[in-house]
Amino acid sequence: MSSRIALAAFAAAFAGSAALAQVPAGYPADYAQVVAAANKEGKVVIYSALDTKAAKPLIEDFNKAYPNIKVEYNDMNSTELYNRFIAENASGQGGADVMWSSAMDLQIKLVDDGLAMAYKSPELAKLPKWAVYKDMAYGTTYEPAVFIYNKRLVTGEEIPQDHAAFARVISTHADKYKGKVTTYDIEKSGVGFMFVVQDTKYFPGMKDLEHAFGKTGYKVYSSTGNMLEKVSSGEHLLGYNVLGSYAAVRAKKDPGLGVVLPKDYTLVLSRVMFIGKNAKNPNAAKVWTDYILSQRGQKMIGSDVELYAMRDDVDAEYTAKKLNQQLGSNVKPIPVSSEITQYLDSKKRLEFLAQWKAALAAGSGK
Amino acid sequence: MASVPASWTPESRAVALAPRALTILVTAAAVFAPLALILYQSLLDAPFFDAKKNAGLDAYRFIFADADFWQASENSFLIAGGMTLIAVPLGALLAFVMERTDIRGRQWIEPLLLVPSFVSPMVLSFGYVVAAGPVGFYTIWTRDLFGAAPWNIYSVLGMTVIAGLTHVPNVYVYASSALKSLGSDVEEAARVIGASPFRVALSVSLPLIMPSLLFSAVLVFFLGFELFGLPLVLGDPEGILVLSTYLYKLTNKLGTPSYHLMAAVAMCIVAITFPLVLLQRQLLKGSRKYASIKGKAGRMRELPLGPWKWLAMALIALWIFTAVLVPLSGVALRAFVTNWGEGVNLSEALTLETFRTIWGEPTMMRGILNTVLIGVVGGLLTVACYTAIGFATHRRNDGWSRFVDYLILVPRAVPGLLIGLAFLWVFLFFPPLTPLRSTLFSVWLAYSVVWLAYGIRLISSSLLQVSPELEEAARSAGARRARVSRDITLPLIRYGLLGSWLLVFMIFEREYSTAVYLLAPGTEVIGAQLVSLWQGGAIDIVAGLSLINVVLVGVGLGVALRFGVRLRD
Repeated sequence: MSSRIALAAFAAAFAGSAALAQVPAGYPADYAQVVAAANKEGKVVIYSALDTKAAKPLIEDFNKAYPNIKVEYNDMNSTELYNRFIAENASGQGGADVMWSSAMDLQIKLVDDGLAMAYKSPELAKLPKWAVYKDMAYGTTYEPAVFIYNKRLVTGEEIPQDHAAFARVISTHADKYKGKVTTYDIEKSGVGFMFVVQDTKYFPGMKDLEHAFGKTGYKVYSSTGNMLEKVSSGEHLLGYNVLGSYAAVRAKKDPGLGVVLPKDYTLVLSRVMFIGKNAKNPNAAKVWTDYILSQRGQKMIGSDVELYAMRDDVDAEYTAKKLNQQLGSNVKPIPVSSEITQYLDSKKRLEFLAQWKAALAAGSGK
Repeated sequence: MASVPASWTPESRAVALAPRALTILVTAAAVFAPLALILYQSLLDAPFFDAKKNAGLDAYRFIFADADFWQASENSFLIAGGMTLIAVPLGALLAFVMERTDIRGRQWIEPLLLVPSFVSPMVLSFGYVVAAGPVGFYTIWTRDLFGAAPWNIYSVLGMTVIAGLTHVPNVYVYASSALKSLGSDVEEAARVIGASPFRVALSVSLPLIMPSLLFSAVLVFFLGFELFGLPLVLGDPEGILVLSTYLYKLTNKLGTPSYHLMAAVAMCIVAITFPLVLLQRQLLKGSRKYASIKGKAGRMRELPLGPWKWLAMALIALWIFTAVLVPLSGVALRAFVTNWGEGVNLSEALTLETFRTIWGEPTMMRGILNTVLIGVVGGLLTVACYTAIGFATHRRNDGWSRFVDYLILVPRAVPGLLIGLAFLWVFLFFPPLTPLRSTLFSVWLAYSVVWLAYGIRLISSSLLQVSPELEEAARSAGARRARVSRDITLPLIRYGLLGSWLLVFMIFEREYSTAVYLLAPGTEVIGAQLVSLWQGGAIDIVAGLSLINVVLVGVGLGVALRFGVRLRD
């Protein structure tokens, strides 16, 4: 309710400048019609895995540009997002206009299942090739998977700088790290699962790491926030494959938390956005999507939202460009393509999980 | 029962019966629709709304072949059994001390004893993590003082002890009301021949209330299978699963929704809990019979505790400390600091940031408002509905009444988490209800169904206090049933209803699992937000909202005490 009041206030405050902002520079002239139709729809319903608090600067900035489009922003975890979206589509009640999720594989699957609307954004030419899928889905961010550590209790040599070092540290200091290493519960977290699948591709010593995990009796969570909290408090000491965007935000205000970008290779995830096939506000959805892909939206993502802008022509605190400069060819973005959906086949997924568990069990000596 | 007045025509009889039949049918629909959906879903191999579904027993085959399922079942049995062994003796002893002895400060001890049953298990569990986890406030203080803190709450044993301690009120409530209805003469006889108070409790009082203790043992054992917040918060990181968290975990195990597997697990849980619910019903009947045989209690004489007083006081203090103070102070402390743990100076980490964030976050403010709304307005509506159901069976001993008796027990046996999911399906796929999906109505309906058994018991205990001759007098004067209910019974039970409203308010404030899947813009309630935020890891916000939740419950409790509402039936 209070959001409505706030948005109305925005609408009132920026109504004056609205006329100027209608068609962004470089967009085709007929884009004015899309904006007009979007204004008529009056709102856009977004389902997102990014929590509302983090998305707030984006919503506010969007409303500066488009004061007549109210943003109904709903955050839920990526599985819930997917489940709700398919149920709503099956029941014939459109729910989301825009889907925005870090579970890249699930997003691609929805596109492949024909639940996305084809839309060529006017921004298309300016986007990196890897970020566009079938002119339907778009990668919007560039978020590294990082290691985190407790700064008070883990120092010097023990701070792992690459994947092999992570395995080495936790197995050579087995007593200290017993039960104090954490990562995603890959049975619960789609993102965690995706990272580990990619790890097996890039890291030849993955088996050793799995054994080391098993040996330390590592702790698993389904969310990044829990890992950050527990490592910061010292209940755990090291975190593996943590979503770097969230870690960076917390590390900024939490003196106890350290973040490492692995030197051998750094996985990068890109939040995938698409417009729902049965969107009730398709034009507003287009305007929102274009905004996110635009330089303006990306700048927001790279600064206030702290998710790393994926466009190369953006200067902000967190950008793909900076990350690429820092790490060179060791950045490994997870492709926005159907290649990553192979483990959504339940048989293959269960096999992978079984192997993972067996490796852990072997490590723990059970 | 008065005979039907001669002036009644068949039509007017139908009119008089219609509300009753309607009430019962609506209740039955609200109970069976979600349950039927769950059963149906468990017999498919894909979501029931998927075009590519096939019927079969694949879901059951899958979970029975999954080692995690058996591990989770074993843990559920261990925890349920263990917590029963802890909660029953402790609850019984506390009841004895409170009801029968000259212990002082009873009026303020009693509300404290009941606190754990009104605080959300999510909040309590989270409080234990912050207070008594490996780097919790109390753990670190203990370690600094004594060099070691020899407990681990992240273990089956730890969870069992916590679950046992926090379920003491469930036993206490039944044990103390059974003790109330016993005369104290037998105990005095034992005292006269020189038995110590402890001996009296063990050899005289407690054996006399055995049926009630048995009933509460079954209840606690049954609640053990329903545990969700506690194992979610304390067990998950260690990979310790119980049936309800196993069910929750299945949401994502296949990568895509595995509703059929979740439904199959739910049916397995029902297969265990429903017989327990029926057993409870039998025992409750038995215990009432037992207590009434003892007849009217004479003037209660308090047993002097003498030197035992200190032991009793210490026992109560220790329990209140571990089951109430430790978790709640943990929550409160966490809500006011930016970070915590080993090597953190708390005085430097103090902040009001959490509450500023909550204040500035429309969804959270809406969650708080909705939680108040669902407790106050929703609670009132719920009590109205329960009263209608209560009247539908009041003083009628026919098939319909027996049907309702069993009907209201059904939802109790299904985990709240899945009832919520089933209600989401109902609201998605049952056209007349679809416009209400994103409104608080969906949450309210689910809550009302889940707490049916509890609420009806509150109402019927009020109804039973109305002596039949008052109603019969009106009936013989020619009033119809509806008129009797409206003009005689209802006014007489209004204080009972007011008390029920307050209790339902507190229960609705504390409820969490049922709303997890119903959480959507417009339906935010603190309980479900806590689960979601916990999963999302916004721990500071979890602490802030938990504290707000505790305050809401506290206000309810305060009002209840102020008006002298009996906190139990």
